[in-house]
Amino acid sequence: MNNLIYFIRRFLYLIPVLLGVCLIIFFLFNIVVGDPTPLLLGKNATIEQMETLREELGLNRALYLQYFDIVKSAFTLDFGRSWATKQQISQMIINGVVPTLSMTLPAFFLSTFISLIVAIVVAFYRGGKVDFVVRAACIAGMSIPSLSYILFFQYYLAYQEGLFPIQGYDYGFPHFIPFIILPALIWIILSIGPDVRFFRTVILDELYQDYVRTAKAKGLSQVNILFKHVLRNSLIPVITYVVIQLPYLILGAILLENFFSIPGIGSMILSALNSNDFPVLKSLAVITSLALIIFSLLTDFLYTLVDPRVKLS
Amino acid sequence: MLANGEIGRVSMKASFLFVQVFFCLCVLFSCSKKLDLSQKVLYQRVKAEIKGFDPIHASDSYSAREVSKVYEGLFEYHYLKRPYTLAPNLADGMPHIADDGLTYTFKIRRGVYFHDNPCFENGQGRELTAEDFVYSIMRLADPKNSSPGWWVLDEKIKGLNEWRDLQKTAEMSDYNLSIEGLKALDKYTLQFILKRPFPQFLYSLAMQFTSVVPKEAVKKYKSEFINNPVGTGAYMTETFNALSNKIVYVANPKFREKFYPTEGSEGDEERGLLKAAGKRVPFIKKIVTYIMPEHSPAWLSFLKGEVDELEIPKDNFDQAIAPDKSVTNNLSQKGVEVEVENALDVTYFAFNHTNPLLQNLNLRRAMSLAINRDKLNELFYHGLGIKAQTPIPPGIKGYDESYKNKYTAYNIQEAKSLLEQAGYKDGKGLPEIAYDTISTTVYRQIAEFFVKEMAQIGVKVKPNFNTWPQLLKKIKTRQTQIHAISWVADYPDAENFLQLLYGPNSAPGANGSNFNDSIFNQKFSHVSLMQDSSERTKLYVQLAQEVAEKVPWILGVHRTNFRLKHGWIKNYKGTEFKHGIEQYWDIDLDKKKELIAKF
Repeated sequence: MNNLIYFIRRFLYLIPVLLGVCLIIFFLFNIVVGDPTPLLLGKNATIEQMETLREELGLNRALYLQYFDIVKSAFTLDFGRSWATKQQISQMIINGVVPTLSMTLPAFFLSTFISLIVAIVVAFYRGGKVDFVVRAACIAGMSIPSLSYILFFQYYLAYQEGLFPIQGYDYGFPHFIPFIILPALIWIILSIGPDVRFFRTVILDELYQDYVRTAKAKGLSQVNILFKHVLRNSLIPVITYVVIQLPYLILGAILLENFFSIPGIGSMILSALNSNDFPVLKSLAVITSLALIIFSLLTDFLYTLVDPRVKLS
Repeated sequence: MLANGEIGRVSMKASFLFVQVFFCLCVLFSCSKKLDLSQKVLYQRVKAEIKGFDPIHASDSYSAREVSKVYEGLFEYHYLKRPYTLAPNLADGMPHIADDGLTYTFKIRRGVYFHDNPCFENGQGRELTAEDFVYSIMRLADPKNSSPGWWVLDEKIKGLNEWRDLQKTAEMSDYNLSIEGLKALDKYTLQFILKRPFPQFLYSLAMQFTSVVPKEAVKKYKSEFINNPVGTGAYMTETFNALSNKIVYVANPKFREKFYPTEGSEGDEERGLLKAAGKRVPFIKKIVTYIMPEHSPAWLSFLKGEVDELEIPKDNFDQAIAPDKSVTNNLSQKGVEVEVENALDVTYFAFNHTNPLLQNLNLRRAMSLAINRDKLNELFYHGLGIKAQTPIPPGIKGYDESYKNKYTAYNIQEAKSLLEQAGYKDGKGLPEIAYDTISTTVYRQIAEFFVKEMAQIGVKVKPNFNTWPQLLKKIKTRQTQIHAISWVADYPDAENFLQLLYGPNSAPGANGSNFNDSIFNQKFSHVSLMQDSSERTKLYVQLAQEVAEKVPWILGVHRTNFRLKHGWIKNYKGTEFKHGIEQYWDIDLDKKKELIAKF
C-alpha cells in the first residue's frame, strides 16, 4: 500500500517537473536560438517568404501560446512533423529507437557484466599486480578519445581485415547483427574503463565491512562471501549507476551512429541540429526528460528489491 | 590461497564465457559487405539525410539529386555539352517564344507514362499530359505547401502570384481556377505567359522544383506523398524509408525511349564519352544510395569498392590527388580515375555599401589589394581554386580568361598608398571594421587569415562568428560591415551572378552587399532582358569587368570540384548539374570483377 501511494505521488510530481522541463526547452528553442526560417527556405529566401513561414510555423504567436504548444506535445506525445524532413516525428522516433537500441542495449549489458566481473577480481586482488595492470589499462583506455577508437577499429577491423561492414544498417533480425557488432565492441571498450573503476570502488567499500570479516571468521568460502554477500550489498550504487544510464541508451551514441551510418536517434539528433529542426530537438528533449524521471522511479523500486531495509514512503 | 585462486577462476570463467559468446557471434555474423557483381548496380554515397521525395521541397543539392532520379521536368542540361546547354526532356523540342518574349508555348512529349502505382486505376501509370504541368506548377505556388522553391517563379507568370494570394486565406486551395499565364492548350500543349521578359525562364524549367507530379498520387498519399514518389523518371524507388540510411532504386521498366546523346564537347570522343551515342538509356539496372554523414567511412567504402564514385573528403585530398592534379599512384593502380570540374561559384568578402565608411572606393581597393589570394587559395582550396577576377566563374558565358583585375593583385605598397588616399594613412583614424562569418572551423580560419592580411596595412578587423541563420539575418537586415560568403549558380547564366550587385535586389534581396551603382543598374537591367547571343556575352564581359574594378566585394576564388570514380564506371562526365545524370552512366561488369580482385 505504502509503495502504491509512493508511486502515485511520484507520478504526480511528474507534472511540475515536466512543466519545468518544457519551460527550459521553450526558453532554449523559442527565445535563445535564432530564427530557423532562413535555413529552411534556403539562400533565395525573401523577407516576405520568411515572414509567411514564421506565421505558418506559429513563431509569430504569443510566447505563452508557443509554450503551451510544447506542454501539450509533452503530455500528448504528439510532436507534429519535422520542419526539415516533413516526417511525423513520433514515427521518426519509433523508427530511430530500434536501430539505436539494437546497438546500445547488448553493448550496455555486456559492458556492465564484463566490468562487474573484472571489478570483483581486481577488488579481490587489490594492491596486487592484477589490480595495478587493470587499473592502468582502464586509465589508459579512458585517456584515448572515443573518435580514435572509432577511426582505428573502422580502418583496421572493417576496412583492412574485412571482418565487419564499414558502415550501414539493415532492419530486421538477424540482418542488423553484422552492422552492430563493431560499434557495440567499441562501446564496450569505451565503457569498461570508467565502469570497472566505479564498480571496483563500490566493491572495495563493501570488502572492508565488518560482516565480511565475520563471514571469513565463520569460515565461509571466498566465492560465497564475494558473490552472495559482497556483491548483493554493492548492488544499490551499482543499480543507481546502471539504471540511470538506461534513458541515455535511447538517445544512442551520436558519434558511433554517425560513423557507422546507423539510422538511430543519435543520427537524428545531429541532422536536426544541422538543420535547425527544432520540433525534433524539442521532442527528444521531452522524451529524454520523461525517461529520466521514469527510470529514477524504477531505481527507487529496485532498491526495495535488493535491500529489504529500504522502504518507499 | 586456494580460495583466492577459486575466485579468480570463477570470475574469469564467467568473463571469458561471455567474451567467447560475443566473439562466436562476431564470427557467425561478421562479414564485409557483399557486392552484387551479377548485375549492373551503382553504389553511391550522399552525405546528408534526404528530405523526402517531393520535388517542391527538394531545396538542398542532396535531396534534389535523389528526387531527379525519379522525377523529370520539361528540360535538363545536355549531359555532354559545355558550356552548359539546355536540352528538352519532357518537352518535345524547344518552345516557341513569341516576339514579345513573353509567351512560351511547349509541346509535351507523347507516350510518357508515370510509374505504375496504386494511386492510378488498376495500378498502371497513366500518360503524362500538359495538365500535369499546370497542376505541378500550381502546387509549387500553393502557399499551403510552403515550398522553398517558390522564388523560381515568384512574380514571373501572369496571374500566378494573384492565385497564390487568393489561396493564402482560402480554407482549401482551388486548383480549378484558371490562371492567365499558365494553360494547357490541349492534351500535349502547354503555354506560359510571363509578366515581363525573363530570358532565364527556361532554366527554371530544368530545376527539380518544376518537375511534374501526378495529382492522383498527391490526392492518395496526402502528407505522405513525400514518402511515396511517383514520377516519370528513369528510376523508381524500390525501398525508401525517409529515416533509413539507404535508398534503393530500380530501372523503370516502362521508361520511354530515350537515347544517349550523339554529340558532345571537345575531347569527349577521345575520352570515350560518345561510345554509347544513340543507345537507349538507362544502362544501370539498380542504384543503391547510402546516406553516410561522415567522410571517413565514405572514403574507406570507396577504397573497398563499395561506393562507386565520391567527392574527395578534405582530409583525404592528399591521399587521392597528386600535385599535378592526377590521382596518386596508389589509387591509379586500382583503376581509380579523377574528374575535375570547375564549380560554378564565387567566394567573396562583401562590403555593406549602406555603411558610409565602406562607400570609400579607395579604402575598398586598398583592402582588396592587401589580400594574398595565392595564399588564400593554397591554405583553403588546396591551391586548386581559380582566383576570381570578376563575379562570373569559368564555364559561364561572360567569363573572360584573359582578363586580370588590377585590384585582385597582391600589392601591399599600392594598398598602403590607396589607404592614405582614402584618408587613413597606416590605418590611423580608421575605426575597427566588423567581419561577420559563420562559426565553422574553416570559416574561422579564413577570418584569422583576413584579420592578419588587413593588419599588414593597418586596417583593424574584428571577427564575429555566427550560426548560418544568424549571419543570414544580419545580411538581410543590413547589419554587417564585411561578411564572408559564396554564391553557387542556380542556373548557368551570368545574370545569376551579376544580379547579386543589382541595386533593386538589395537586402533583403540577393544583393546582400547593397551595392547600388546607377550605371551598373541601368546596364544590367538592359542586358539581363536580352536573349542569349554573342552580343549579350560581350556585354556581360564588359559589365563584369567594369563592376569588378569598383570593388563592390573583395573577390576570393572560384572553387574546383574533384570527384573520384572507379574504372568500371563508364560514360562518366563531371557536371555541376547532377539531376538525372545516372541514367547516362554504365558499368563494365567484367572490369569491375577484375579490379575488385585487386582490392
